Amino acid sequence: MTFSSNEVFKIRLRSITGIWLRHAVAFIRYWKFVITWVLVEPVIVLVAVGFGIGKLVNSVEGADSYAEFVTPGLIMGSAMFHALFETSWNAYNRIENDVYETALTAPITVVEVTLGDVLWAVTRSIMTTIGVASVAVAFGWLDGWLAFGILIPSAMVGVLFGTMGFLFSAIAPHTTFLTIVFTLIATPLYFFSGSFFPLSTLPDWVEPIAWLMPLTPGVHIARGFALGHLDITHLWAAVYMIGLTIVMWPLVIYLLKRRLVK
Amino acid sequence: MSEQSESDRHQHKNALAVSLIEANNLYRSYRNIAAVDGISFRVETGETYGLLGPNGAGKTTTMRMLSGLTPVDSGTLRVAGIDVVQDSRSVREIMGVVTQHDGLDAGLTVYQNLFLYGFLIGLSKSSAQKRTHEVLEFFNLRDRSKANVYELSGGMKRRLAIARSMMSSPTVIVLDEPSTGLDPQSRNRVWEELAILKESGVTVVLSTHYMEEAATLCDRLSIMDRGKILDEGTPDQMILRYAPKEVAQIRVAPGSLRRVRDYLNKHEIPFREVGALLSVTGDRGANPDISELNGITGVKASYRAGNLEDVFLTLTGRELRDG
Repeated sequence: MTFSSNEVFKIRLRSITGIWLRHAVAFIRYWKFVITWVLVEPVIVLVAVGFGIGKLVNSVEGADSYAEFVTPGLIMGSAMFHALFETSWNAYNRIENDVYETALTAPITVVEVTLGDVLWAVTRSIMTTIGVASVAVAFGWLDGWLAFGILIPSAMVGVLFGTMGFLFSAIAPHTTFLTIVFTLIATPLYFFSGSFFPLSTLPDWVEPIAWLMPLTPGVHIARGFALGHLDITHLWAAVYMIGLTIVMWPLVIYLLKRRLVK
Repeated sequence: MSEQSESDRHQHKNALAVSLIEANNLYRSYRNIAAVDGISFRVETGETYGLLGPNGAGKTTTMRMLSGLTPVDSGTLRVAGIDVVQDSRSVREIMGVVTQHDGLDAGLTVYQNLFLYGFLIGLSKSSAQKRTHEVLEFFNLRDRSKANVYELSGGMKRRLAIARSMMSSPTVIVLDEPSTGLDPQSRNRVWEELAILKESGVTVVLSTHYMEEAATLCDRLSIMDRGKILDEGTPDQMILRYAPKEVAQIRVAPGSLRRVRDYLNKHEIPFREVGALLSVTGDRGANPDISELNGITGVKASYRAGNLEDVFLTLTGRELRDG
């Protein structure tokens, strides 16, 4: 049930892009509905928080305004939601509706299917990042060439949470089970990863825990790019995210094989 | 693939005059219950081979093992000389697979279901397009190509699933219960198309619990029950071997059912009951006299030739449709 040498060393690019293309085509067919989540919803939050709460907050460390501080955090939160949703909720439906089973009747492997899905999760993270960031630029809350660097943590968040989502879809007995992905994972991370306020404002004993949360390094890196200040801590944050992804990967493959190849 | 096994494969082919599928002692269990309990069979190139048995006989597990969708616990399984356990991917390069529930992508159109599958298996964009048009044509789905999957009838869905399995121009297709759940008209259509595919040289392996389907399509079949293959042969051979020449079927009005039962029991004539229909098979070949029954009101007797249903009954003591 672990990796066979065939699967790891003979990964075919076409199998991965084939899966990706399927998702892209299905996405485009229903873009009018999905776009509300890619763009409309996060922009509403951005505007409400930037203009509304921004008026009440005088200064935040390192940023000229609260809106500038919160923008990279909201972008990463949106990137996380999209990747996580794709491989938990959507992937669960693909398991139940035999989309993966059909894919596996083709000469492709579980590893390739998973890679294709994660690639699509990353694509969604990047889409929402570009959308929300463009609006933030229009408001003057994001500027400078360095801001393009936000695409890097956005992709990393996509890979990390795209991988993580499978931990739930692969074991979910029903869709209601997936509720916990959002109530226990996504929502707490959205608020306690330094998106809305600096982690230093948390009680002393909570702060180190918040730093270990998987979205925190993404927000940290994104804010580094947004505010034009990068140092060695951003590199460590990247290493931490990559490490988390690598640790989760074999478990995801094990669980998916147990679910799909039976 | 090492040189050693390459030459093995070659010798193997020469020695045995090419069986396309060779399954030996296949075994697969779920929670210590054997779903497939040591079955062996061969399928020759170009033939249509069927696994006939009730639900739960192990047919689906066998079909899934052929393409590597279900792991093999023990035994050996080769398709075109390729070891399925070692390299199921290479097997799927030459095999089309139709799973039991069609596995169509509801988020896509008919055309997209085919084209994207073609792209997934490695066809270039232009050859995937070309092949999509070919199979749409063959399966008469061209005018439905822009339709959503959920708009299709059950028969069209099944034909689309078979069409998809043909995207790779496979040498063998494996179909798990290709006509289950279809109305008679759609079923005939599926059968017709499978017959044409066979004629074009495609080897067909199918599982079914319809004896008509097995009798109509299969060159050879095996009777499967409780994870085991009970016997194997052409449909005619099997009927000759296990079925009575003639079976009397008695349609009985509910009010007279008891009298008919009593009569048959009194004369020690074996029979079986499916709803209000009694089948009297007698011993093999023997034709018990039941003419007296015609005197009872609401009784209608007729005779039919023995069929695969009777074969299954003889081999297992149960009805095929009992499951």
